[in-house]
This record gives sequence, structure tokens and C-alpha cells, in this order.
Amino acid sequence: MDVQVYRVPMQRLIQGNGMIKESGHGVAIVGMGIVCSIGDNVFEFKESLKKGVSGITRLADRKGPKLSVDIGAEIKEFSFLDRLYRYSDLPETLLQKARHCAQRSPFSIQTSVLSALEAWQDSGMFARENDPERLGVIVAGESTTQNYRYGLHAGFETDPEYLSPRYALQFLDTHQVGVLSEILTIKGEGFVVGGASASGNVGIIKAVQLIQAGIVDTCLVTGVVADLSPIELQGFVNVGAMARGNEFQTPDQTSRPFDDQHTGFVFGQASACVILQSCDVATERKATVRSTILGAAMNLDAVSTTAPSASGEARAMSEALRRGGVCASDVDYLNAHGSSSPLGDATEVEAIKQVFGDHVSKLRVNSTKGLTGHCLYSAGVVELIASVLQMEGEFIHPNKNLENPIDHKLRFSGATTSEKVRIAFAMSNSFGFGGINSSIVFQNTC
Amino acid sequence: MEKESIFLVVKDAIADVLPDVDTEAVSIEQNLKSLGANSIDRTEIVMSSMEKLGIKLPLVSFGGVENIEDMVDVMVDAYR
Repeated sequence: MDVQVYRVPMQRLIQGNGMIKESGHGVAIVGMGIVCSIGDNVFEFKESLKKGVSGITRLADRKGPKLSVDIGAEIKEFSFLDRLYRYSDLPETLLQKARHCAQRSPFSIQTSVLSALEAWQDSGMFARENDPERLGVIVAGESTTQNYRYGLHAGFETDPEYLSPRYALQFLDTHQVGVLSEILTIKGEGFVVGGASASGNVGIIKAVQLIQAGIVDTCLVTGVVADLSPIELQGFVNVGAMARGNEFQTPDQTSRPFDDQHTGFVFGQASACVILQSCDVATERKATVRSTILGAAMNLDAVSTTAPSASGEARAMSEALRRGGVCASDVDYLNAHGSSSPLGDATEVEAIKQVFGDHVSKLRVNSTKGLTGHCLYSAGVVELIASVLQMEGEFIHPNKNLENPIDHKLRFSGATTSEKVRIAFAMSNSFGFGGINSSIVFQNTC
Repeated sequence: MEKESIFLVVKDAIADVLPDVDTEAVSIEQNLKSLGANSIDRTEIVMSSMEKLGIKLPLVSFGGVENIEDMVDVMVDAYR
């Protein structure tokens, strides 16, 4: 029997000027897709980032009791079928499969399908013969069916017999894996990862590792939309993490990462998808590589609480740099976790200073959450896409509502307008409850 | 309720679960599998029809069903 030997990742060496001497273990980003409050697709998202458009408004009317929070950055006027046929480059048979699999599915499935289709179209993978066993899928997000379940509860109380048989499939987070693998014919590894607000980054990190280990050549990573039920919304307020929405005159003033008036995170919705591929395969098929992930790391603080830790965050950033063979002083841009949480923002500032030292005077920093709200499970994927778009477009989007920064050493982007900046190396952070720290380092390959 | 009325309710359920099927053209002798329904689709059509009719039958009642007509007959009996 023939045994295929896959290339073992090589240790990257770095020169003093930041140029990569040895390439071979980076992982290429070859496709991106998104559905969020400030864009139905990647192009619209990029335009909104450039203009500093906020998606945060009053929440749409919901069933159930009056809650202590009434703002968020929701995906509005959503229609699966209207959006499905926009991906006109994709084969008709693939779109029919998507329609059949997802037309009667919950919102969290439908949005995942749409962002995956956009990324698949972007990657050009549909136009070639793929070995399905060399494709993987990672679904990033946990407890993603809460609002779907909440919506069924009243009917269930009176007539449990009429519960749809589909429920037994659809309440499982892994249904996302089944749906995406069926639509795109993926037969390699596939699973769900959870990392609270760091879930997106955890998914990306695991995909990088699958590719580096030679287990798959290509891996789709989907950050699932946070379709929170009223219970989770109230829960985040009660634990003191979420802003209520009555603190400022208008909802779009409430998410203010690193500003001294920050009061907590604002709920945001986004489904976001990236397709990662080994550089060898991307080169061989002459793919458009939008960026290359060089290093990715996660760790734990060994705590079960909401408390962040500067040392844990610093460890994640330093390890991502080390694995990528990138010096801290070579990083031009940091997409911060920056959730607008008073303790979280201050802790991240401290961690950034530990890692970057004097380089903080040059390192450009912003947080996408000022515009999108905190997209929770998908935040890491949303912010990787935002970072790549800024790299490609040579700009840094505004750090919305940053009027009085909590720190004057860090070089935050301005509150209202984008700035023209060339980015060669970037980093994106995501931190989650339960002491989960993660960081990704990537390079402009344009 | 007449058999014909129950068949209309079932056709409504088919339209919900299988949006690509032209229910005008569906005859009572056909079976759901031939319309493209997988096992979950078929169960959902049965459950959804029962909900619309306000009847509750264990799924085993439909065990011997061969086509839409057999299914409608089970529901007609229960409705009476």
C-alpha cells in the first residue's frame, strides 16, 4: 500500500528586518464570507469599516418579558432565499443543495450557509475537482441554538407531540457540521469548537493545526452567529458584562472600546467564514491568497470566572509571535479584542504593553467591536476578515467612540475617520470567559 | 372531515416541507418518497398534518403506510 507522506511544518526563521527567510508552514487564507449588521457580504463589510458605520440600534421586538438591555447590532431584514441566489458563480446544483439543506433551518444555520457559500465562491474551490477527504470543516461556537429552542418552548408546553422531528438534529451544534459538509461535499475531519468569546480564534487555530499536521489540505472555518435568547441577553447583563443601552443618547454610542466611558460589551450578530489552505496547495492551484497566517496560539488562565488576565493574554500574543517567527517590533497593526468592557479593555492594554514594550508607540490598534458590537462566537473570524480587508485596502478603520482613551501610550486609531496605513504584519486577539486567551499573527501577501 | 379535505391539509404540509414540489400535480396514489422526501421530511409531513388537524396519533399508527392515500386514511379514522 502506498503511504503518502505530508510535509512536516518547518520552523520559520526571521531576519532582523522582519523578512521571512524560510517559508513553508504558513497557512493561506483563500476565501472569506460574512453576513453581519454592517454588511451582507465582504465588499459591503469593507465599505462599512472604511466609513466607520455602526450596526448598533435598538433591538427588534422580541417575544418574552422586558429585558434590562434593548440594544444590539443585529442582522436585519434577513431572508435566506433572497440572499442565496446572489452567489451566482457557484454551480446551480450546489445552490439547490444549500436550499434543500437550509431552507427550513434555524437562523443560525442559514447565516452559516450564506457566509460559507460566499467564502467558497471567493476561494474558487468550486471550479476544480477536490478530493473530499482532504477538506475539513470547523464550526466555531457553542450553545448556538438557544433562541431557536426558546422560540419552541411555548408550543412545546401545550403540545409536545407536535415538536418537529427535525428538532433532534437541529438543536445540536454539530448540525452545522452536517449541513456544511453535505452542501460542500467535505469528507475529512469536521467538528465543533467552543471557546466562549474566543471561539472564532479557537476554530482558526485548530484549522491551522489540522493543515500544518497534514491531516487536511483545506479547512473551512465558520464562526456561528450568536442568536441569543432573552435568557442569555439578561444573563450577560446580570453578570455585569453587557451594557444595557440606556447609558448614552443613542445606541451607537454604547460600544466604545478603550474609551474611559465604556460600560460593557454590546451584543452583535455575524456569521463569518474563512477558508484556510496549505500554502503548497494554494500555490499549486494558483489561488488568490488574501493573507497568510504565520502563528496562532491559545492558552488558559486556569480560572472558571469572567476575570481576564494580562499575563495570560500576553502569553498568547507572545506565543503566536514565536510560532510565527515574527518579532513584536515587526507587527504594524493589532486588531484588539477590545470589547468595551472596563476591566477587559484595561487588562488588554496592560498585556499589549508587556508584549510590545516601546513598540506600542508605532503599533496601530483598533477594535472592530465599536462598529459590529461583540459578535461573541464569530468575533475572531469577523475580526480576522476585518484585518485582512484593512491590509488589502491599506487603511485602519476608526475606533468608534474613542473620545478619551484609557491609555495615552498606545496608538489607537481615531474615533471617526479611517487612516491610510500600510500593514505588513498584523495580530488579532480574542479572549473568552473561563480564562481562554488566543492570538493570531498573519502577513500581508498582496 | 372528508377524505378530500384531509388530503388538502396533507398537501399543504407537503408544500411547507418540500417547497420545490408542485402540490397541484400531486395525486393521492403517489408516495412521499417519490416526491423527494427523506425520512425526516416524511415524519415532518405527518406531524405537521396532525397538528393542522388537531389530532394526536403515535407514529407507529403510520407504520404500514405505502402511499399518501394510506396516510390520509389513518388520519380520517382518527379524525372521526
